[in-house]
Amino acid sequence: MTPSIFEELETAVIEGDSEKSEEAAKKALESNTPPLEAITNGLAKGVKTVGDRFSKGEVFLVELIMAGDAMKAGMSVLLPVIKASKAEVETLGKVLLGTVQGDIHSIGKDIVATLLEAEGFEVINIGEDVASETFVDKVKEHNPDILGLSSLLTATMPMQQDVIEKLKAAGLDGKVKVIIGGAPTTQEWADEIEADGYAGDAVSAVDLVKRLTK
Amino acid sequence: MYRLLGRGEISAIHGAAMEVLERVGVVIQHDKALKTLKEAGATVDMKTKVAKIPEYLLQDTLQKSPRRHRMLARNPKHNFVIGDGGSVFTNAFGAHYTIDLETGERRLSTIKDLEEFTLLADYFPTVDYIKPNILPQDVPKAVWEQEMALAMFKSAEKHLSLVALTPDGWRDVIEMGKIYAGGEEEFIKNPAIIDTGFNNVPPLMYTKEIIDMILECAKYGIPFDISTGALASASGPVTLAGTIVQGIAENHAIVVLTQLVGPGTPVMWGSCATILDQRFGTAAYGSPENGLIHAAFCQMAHYYGIPYYGAAGVIDSKVPDQQAAYENTINALLATVSGADVVHDAVYGIVEAGVTASYEMFAISNDICGAIKRIGKGMRVTPETLAVDLIEQVGHEKNHLNTPEALKFTKKHLMEEQWQPWISNRTSRPEWEKQGSKDIAQVAKEKVKEILSTHKIEPLPKGMEASMRKIIKKRAKASS
Repeated sequence: MTPSIFEELETAVIEGDSEKSEEAAKKALESNTPPLEAITNGLAKGVKTVGDRFSKGEVFLVELIMAGDAMKAGMSVLLPVIKASKAEVETLGKVLLGTVQGDIHSIGKDIVATLLEAEGFEVINIGEDVASETFVDKVKEHNPDILGLSSLLTATMPMQQDVIEKLKAAGLDGKVKVIIGGAPTTQEWADEIEADGYAGDAVSAVDLVKRLTK
Repeated sequence: MYRLLGRGEISAIHGAAMEVLERVGVVIQHDKALKTLKEAGATVDMKTKVAKIPEYLLQDTLQKSPRRHRMLARNPKHNFVIGDGGSVFTNAFGAHYTIDLETGERRLSTIKDLEEFTLLADYFPTVDYIKPNILPQDVPKAVWEQEMALAMFKSAEKHLSLVALTPDGWRDVIEMGKIYAGGEEEFIKNPAIIDTGFNNVPPLMYTKEIIDMILECAKYGIPFDISTGALASASGPVTLAGTIVQGIAENHAIVVLTQLVGPGTPVMWGSCATILDQRFGTAAYGSPENGLIHAAFCQMAHYYGIPYYGAAGVIDSKVPDQQAAYENTINALLATVSGADVVHDAVYGIVEAGVTASYEMFAISNDICGAIKRIGKGMRVTPETLAVDLIEQVGHEKNHLNTPEALKFTKKHLMEEQWQPWISNRTSRPEWEKQGSKDIAQVAKEKVKEILSTHKIEPLPKGMEASMRKIIKKRAKASS
């Protein structure tokens, strides 16, 4: 029995094989598989499987990231067709992520981004050393459900507060839920600066985002 | 005692590190520092902030980097030398939470915890100098480093290593250090009355703030450690050798810069690098790979003729349990037998890898490190210790408990030969039961309480605290 096109897409993602994922996506389009279904029943299913296994400590981070990359490779083939047909990819919600100004650490935030994508969220990762004003502008531009602020340095933690204050000043409080993370941050710090949530690791960050977007 | 790398391997690692330093370079987000490097012969791109450092420049500056230096303490009996062949130990750095000694609850750390951990570190014989065990959460962030410095000045007579987080805060701490030293002139003469430490942002990057603070140290000749924080398979290569190569390039960039700006400034060349656990995305410090990294870095530091400062002994376990004890032991021991000049994080009063302070763990680790230090001392082999004459005197019929010469000999050498544990139990079972059948954590708790109420230190000279308070007040006002 030859595997279905959905299985092919799913396997490519699980194996973290970007080339295979692209090929399978092209094949799906050639065989007139609806691209949205190719995502839901193929690519996304694969990345969800890997994400679940990662949460249980059963696969390695490197495999999770490669699965995420393979999904994106497949998506890059499917998305133009979806856009042309004016359809929309359904996601669990939109999350904007960045590391605050003065801090150039990326790894923790990027793990959170990968896990969220694996769970089916749309993630806009705007990088590191992001000025508070830029966070505000990007929130206006993308209108995310969640804004995640990362800080690994005790010295840059106050910038998380700064972003929250600037969001308020711009009248955006209540429009987006703000969550914080990073080694020196705590739930108490989140309460103090009136963030909507805090997570101590990537897996709990995903739970937090799920809870806040329900 | 233990040499992980052979000569050929050391030479191969050196060659690879020089290639990275010369060909890939290090990002230094500080224009003034970049200019200094450029003028000295580095190839600098002011736009990307990458400095590529040629080997000859490194070799020149290594000549100026002290192989050994004396650290000073308020009480001179606690002065010591780093780089004299032995290993000095420090306590742990930087817990945000503390397991409360009374309730056993995990709560936010306070300035009182910092004072108490510093006082315990002053008491524990294994701690040669003291790091801020606690990052207190009940102090305004604008005067964080300053309040921490004052709490530590008040709570110990040993040498203190203070935290530098922001350039303004660190400059204030230096001003407080001048008061502590007995005036500006004294401090300029003896800046090693304090020290501090810095990390990079791996891979191969330093922020402006870190460089600012390093330049401040170079200006005064204040000793500091520069420790790569690379995580193998995340911010460094998965291969341990590759992570060593990257870490060498990262550390060397700072040695070069420091010796250009402040020749002779004591730099401890260090590492808090470890592996990323690929299953959970967490840094694994209690891993055997961590010990191997220290062993290799230590050999490389000595190859370059600079002291090695290894953050070895960090515990991943969340409570002071069996896992905590073995994690603390394996890496502090490996660093010691590899010849690390400073075993930082050895006497580890923290669990959860730097996050949660534990009084009990601190006391347990004091015993672990006592044992490790004994191993580090090795065995004395002299005509006297070989004891042939004594063996003959005791002969076949008697023993060392019923021969006067042997008793005299034992008394003479006992303290030198045998390490006495503090809270580890070696009694008979009936005796242990009589004492309440307690495990080591229970004993640790009781002993810590006892020390906290009995250990007294010399108070700071009159007026000193008030002078330091003025600096703190000024900063608090300026930032409000």
